[in-house]
Amino acid sequence: MPDRITRPQEPTPERKHADEDGPSKPNLDRPAPANPLRERLKRIDPDQAKKYRQRSGQ
Amino acid sequence: MTSEPRILCGIETEYGIAIEGRGPEDQIQDVAGLVCNEPGLAFSGWDDRDEHPRRDLRGFSVDRLSVDPRDQAFETRPNRPSDRDLRQDRITERGARFYNDHGHPEYATPECWTAHAVAWEDLLGEKRVALAARAFSEKTGQATETYKNNTDFHGASYGTHESYLVPRTLAAQDLVQGLLPLLVTRPMLCGAGKVGSENGDPCPFQLSQRADFFMEPVNVETLYRRPLFNTRDEPHAPADRFIRLHVIAGDANRIFSATRRKVFLVQLAIRLLLQGQCPVFKLKDPVQAAKVVSRDLSCDARLPLEGASWTTAPQVLESYLAAAEATLTLTPAESLLLTECRGLLDAFSADPDHFAVHVDWAAKLRLTEWVREDEGYAPGSPELQSIDLAYAEISTETTLFSDLIAMEHVEAPPALTESALPQEPTRAWARALAVQRFREHLTQANWRGFTLAGRTIELLPDRDYAALAGAHNVEDFINLLEQINA
Repeated sequence: MPDRITRPQEPTPERKHADEDGPSKPNLDRPAPANPLRERLKRIDPDQAKKYRQRSGQ
Repeated sequence: MTSEPRILCGIETEYGIAIEGRGPEDQIQDVAGLVCNEPGLAFSGWDDRDEHPRRDLRGFSVDRLSVDPRDQAFETRPNRPSDRDLRQDRITERGARFYNDHGHPEYATPECWTAHAVAWEDLLGEKRVALAARAFSEKTGQATETYKNNTDFHGASYGTHESYLVPRTLAAQDLVQGLLPLLVTRPMLCGAGKVGSENGDPCPFQLSQRADFFMEPVNVETLYRRPLFNTRDEPHAPADRFIRLHVIAGDANRIFSATRRKVFLVQLAIRLLLQGQCPVFKLKDPVQAAKVVSRDLSCDARLPLEGASWTTAPQVLESYLAAAEATLTLTPAESLLLTECRGLLDAFSADPDHFAVHVDWAAKLRLTEWVREDEGYAPGSPELQSIDLAYAEISTETTLFSDLIAMEHVEAPPALTESALPQEPTRAWARALAVQRFREHLTQANWRGFTLAGRTIELLPDRDYAALAGAHNVEDFINLLEQINA
């Protein structure tokens, strides 16, 4: 089934100036997960999303 | 207890489904089989005479609802069973509705008054759908996976809708104005997160599963040309007194407190509207603002307002919280929820670890970033979308999400107990008892009432039906119902 995706160009979000206070992007520098999670993630079929197709619902 | 009116609410979730060897062209018939075969106790006899999806709150009806042309092609198959046969409507022993909605197993929770109770019922629905999928898989021999999400990453979306019964004294325009800013910004605290984009500006990750699919600020559509604010006028209650606010802009959450939070925030906004205290933010372009919020992982993007001003998602959300704190009579439980929301707004920058444990999009972003770093996948790649999909999977005994709970990467939900009835004695309590004890006397039922032993009985949305628990024969049950309704 072909993709329904359309990709018109839109402006990127306008952000506050760098010198303004405000929340920042979440810190993703937490240490990499311990082995059990890493092993668990390796069991996921990397092609699953490519194969996943649905009817539109509401 | 608060003296303000209680806001009856519910959540209906359309689940995604993948069946070995089958595709979207088979989905409606497959899901009919899944629902039909589900092992739970239920009554089949849904009365759909109260359904009017083309009626618009603004005082008119449309001739037809828009359908995605690609899905329309599926409807023309020969020998297609009737819509009623395909829907396989069931009313569960908890007073919920479980059926096949456009090829998606849909669980609509029993109505509740509090956000906590409805989140609990939503979680129980998740378990029921998972059991149904396993039963279907055992019967057919086809591997069957179900997903609590809202997109297939290829342009098809399916909804998680919230319903809130509000007094019809609120004008439609006031509801739109009061709710839109919240619906646009709520994904910061309640978004399920999505790898990639399906419409608009490409991005590797966004806060919301649904933002890509909103094309208009306000309309009555749900299948195509979806709006941020849906104006379907189908109250499932006395229409002269109530509007059912039909919120289609939300995501399907896996984290319990995120489900609770999204309902709590809308309930606060409705109560603020009823008090005339709702914050006013006139977004210049709400649809564009929703896309901006969804793509802004820093949550500090400027959202243009009418005139020359602007705001941000945290500012909007804090305004609703501050107004509620200042003007509403909150129960202790509601005060705790408000504190939780404010704590997350603070934690977003001050304690991202805490934020990611309680907010789906942040948990998912962290997970996909780890995988990207480990495996070298490109940002927004299909391989990372597979992690996103696995996060939503509910059908196997042990899922990625249950492992994340066990490893304390996301919060654990409250323990599920074997309570036979919904947590709160709303009108769903009466429906549940009718199914549990007297279903041989039931001939039809829906949200608004049922026909029991030949008597048509209306269930009123503002009554407390707890007294029915003591009725063990059908005559006593009907007599008590009539006393409560009087």
